[in-house]
Amino acid sequence: MDEKTRQDLLKLFEGKLNQAMRLYLETCSRCGVCTEACHVYASMPQAKYIAAYRAEIVRRIYKKYFKSQGRFWPSLGQSKDLTEMALEELYEAAYSCTGCRRCMVYCPFGIDTQMIMSIAKLLLVGAHAEPEILTMLADTSIAKGESLEIFREGFLAGIKRLEAEVVAKWQSQAGDTVIPVDKQGADLLYVALAGAHSIIPAAAVFNAARENWTLSFFEAVNFGAFVGDPTRTKLILERIVGEAKRLGVKEVCICECGTAFRVMKQLSGPQPFQVSSITQVHARYIREGRIKLDPSKNPEPLTYHDPCQIARNAGVIDEPRYILQHLASDYRELAPEPIYNWCCGGGGGLVALGEETLDFRMKSSRVKAEQVRKTGAKTLCTACENCHTQLSDLNQHYQLGLEVKFLSSMVAEALVP
Amino acid sequence: MSQTIKADKTLDLKGLPCPMPVVKVSKGIKEVQVGQVLMAETSDPGALADFPAWAKTSGNEILDTVQEGNTVKFYIQRKA
Ligand code: SF4
Ligand code: SF4
Repeated sequence: MDEKTRQDLLKLFEGKLNQAMRLYLETCSRCGVCTEACHVYASMPQAKYIAAYRAEIVRRIYKKYFKSQGRFWPSLGQSKDLTEMALEELYEAAYSCTGCRRCMVYCPFGIDTQMIMSIAKLLLVGAHAEPEILTMLADTSIAKGESLEIFREGFLAGIKRLEAEVVAKWQSQAGDTVIPVDKQGADLLYVALAGAHSIIPAAAVFNAARENWTLSFFEAVNFGAFVGDPTRTKLILERIVGEAKRLGVKEVCICECGTAFRVMKQLSGPQPFQVSSITQVHARYIREGRIKLDPSKNPEPLTYHDPCQIARNAGVIDEPRYILQHLASDYRELAPEPIYNWCCGGGGGLVALGEETLDFRMKSSRVKAEQVRKTGAKTLCTACENCHTQLSDLNQHYQLGLEVKFLSSMVAEALVP
Repeated sequence: MSQTIKADKTLDLKGLPCPMPVVKVSKGIKEVQVGQVLMAETSDPGALADFPAWAKTSGNEILDTVQEGNTVKFYIQRKA
């Protein structure tokens, strides 16, 4: 690595060094409590998968360049040069961590390994050594924000073709638009994903609740966040914020996508609208008597996987359980306490990397598969597309014999007048 | 126009989870030669929106889009 590249990367590193990050980098006592907390280590016990070990790779570079001890006595401070080889280690550490933050809830100091890994990811972006597919996906999202006209008509035509399937789930009232798009004065902007499956059930539930809603032109997912690039993350986020402001909505409702929800909720700053997950909105509709569900539709034992970015990392824990009280007659918890739930093993961009990460995703989530199997459930539902894909892969790989479902689809299927 | 376009590779991308439509189209285009055509079929509105944006950023060209029932076929030429 040439000196100019190294200096550029160190500038990126420095930009990440706020008070919280310095605390995380300077506090670890190596107590080892986080060791068993990581699903990767618990499934594949190798030192490189210990949370504190991953963090140590970043910490040593920090010591070398940002602490006087490391600068003057490198051998004493266990400091490390930022080299091509260090980048390879950073890649291995960052892209075997799903950012689930289970280690953080066990750590006595609350050290956030995901946050430390965000330095590793940013250095990889700076060195053009990140998984290029994630950057490509982020750039596609940004291009959509820059030129709505290149897809507007095709998107609207595609939405129109879904109407019959929405009406089959819930008959709209005469004169109502089945899937409103670009509706000025709507109360709620729903931000979906690319698939029809993330639009059809949601639309049926909004219409059943008589919501004044509109569908976003943009997809909720933020690949800028997956790849750890703050600039791209912001550009992707701003498309939705801009649309919400233009339409004057009071609420932005994020579909079943954990990262999308957490990014919108925690990074959009003060806005004239509130941010909700679709799970929160569905719970509210039930509480307010705006929709009714038939629990007899789901008599089989059922369990729910809390997506890390929605539950542990954004606090949506009670709402799915409240929905499930109205939806299923034999509900079984996965973990004694939801914040200690095992990650599905597909976060941090691993699912988006597809086949390339499949073997690792399956091996590193053995504890998740065992946790699910122990419940004896026949149905496993969740509220994140990424988790759904990973859990479906686990179901197949470990022959769990489950049906893996989206919670929002179950709500739509159980609607009664 | 599409009647005259011959696809060198075809991909059925209907109903795939996020972000597989764009991931697969992006991998698929690398499996044809420069100048050759990939036909990608989708029924998902988000993919209909994503493909033109992906083509723009990746420098490939959508030669035609053809609707057949609920699905749309994109004819994409590899440019580089
Ligand atoms: S954030 Fe999750 S995957 Fe990453 S080290 Fe901690 S427990 Fe392991
Ligand atoms: S639990 Fe916290 S303090 Fe202990 S080794 Fe892990 S990161 Fe360090």
